[in-house]
Amino acid sequence: MIEKAFKISPEELPEREVWFAMGYKDSVPEQRIRDLVLELRGRLVPEATLRYAYQVVDAEKLSPRQVRMAGKTFTPEGIICSYLKGMTHALLFIGSAGWEFDRAKEALKSEDDIVSDFIADSIGTVLAEVTVSRIEQDYDGAGTLSMPYSPGYCNWDIREQHLLFSLFPERPCGVILSETSLMAPEKSVSGFFALGEKLQRQPYHCQICKNSKCYKRRKG
Amino acid sequence: MDNLYNAIFKGLAPVAKTSVQEALDAGKTPQEIIDDSMIPAMEAIGQEFEAGRVFVPNLLLSARAMKAALDILKPLMMAGQTTTLGTVVIGTVKGDLHDIGKNLVASMLEGRGFKVINLGTDVSKERFIEAARENEADIICLSALLTTTMDYMKDIVDAVKASDLNVKVMVGGAPLTSEFAAGIGADGYSSNANEAVAVAKELLAV
Repeated sequence: MIEKAFKISPEELPEREVWFAMGYKDSVPEQRIRDLVLELRGRLVPEATLRYAYQVVDAEKLSPRQVRMAGKTFTPEGIICSYLKGMTHALLFIGSAGWEFDRAKEALKSEDDIVSDFIADSIGTVLAEVTVSRIEQDYDGAGTLSMPYSPGYCNWDIREQHLLFSLFPERPCGVILSETSLMAPEKSVSGFFALGEKLQRQPYHCQICKNSKCYKRRKG
Repeated sequence: MDNLYNAIFKGLAPVAKTSVQEALDAGKTPQEIIDDSMIPAMEAIGQEFEAGRVFVPNLLLSARAMKAALDILKPLMMAGQTTTLGTVVIGTVKGDLHDIGKNLVASMLEGRGFKVINLGTDVSKERFIEAARENEADIICLSALLTTTMDYMKDIVDAVKASDLNVKVMVGGAPLTSEFAAGIGADGYSSNANEAVAVAKELLAV
């Protein structure tokens, strides 16, 4: 298993991705919101130590709903499984914006400013996503990597997070999983990339998915 | 439109504070100021959000400006007068620590004239009921972001219905649907913070 910790500068966290996480999609926020994003990015990102852990395991698609990874049967369901043709291995991962960020975000709450809280939450979301991008860059093995898939999304039951965590040592990257499958620090991500010589990487799944009931289609 | 309306609509808290004082100096009563400028401004920004012309931060900025103005007016209200449309007890259910969506709803409810008791996260059914009783709540709002915790909402709804409380229960959170809300016997459901205000007002017929 590979486990790494790293820091990034505020400038390495793209403003546009924070705006996107705040619900702006392709729109540009007004100047005072942009200024606040920059201010909070400057305050919070230096506090964060990002962490990720990953391992490559044997994997195969068992059915239109199920896969086997590291000898365990997972049920990511049809939307995800439809993208896994040609999978021979899986890169299992856990990433986190880290406890340091969590504490900095909590400290901000004492200022009792809901606007800043909201922006800080969005910055945390993007920081967690940065760890997934780093894993993708870091992986230099054979085969094509799919998009990342996570329990709790695309109809994959979030409780399977426990099965995923069982394949890692205790508290990977310092992340704790609760009985209700809640990760702490809150801004953490887990899941897998499918791997395979014949795997075809699909576009980002929200762009091609037709699940009309997905909460990602709704607005805040 | 007046300065206070504009200040709240645009989410300018310092201007809202100045403008509310100007309105008082001009002889308006707190209730007139709230009814004529502040609530209409919050309704207008809510409509802009529903139309997709503004975003969540705009709602929050307006709610923050509204709160700043209300903080000046509340001490001036006569005994027996109320600035609230009703009392809401809100929290994220047991097992779940997500609070940003719940806080958005709390801010919007507060900004539109509700008294809000925010219980935080990981809240048990006993705590919801106790807080509703203590505060004579009209509505209990339940939030959950996990499919593993949303089922606990039914336990809370059942406990509330079995109690002697006369209180409505609203639910919300990313994985929920109106079908789920109806299935567990909730009185109301909303998919976003602005809509939550409309649902709360409808439940209380205010």
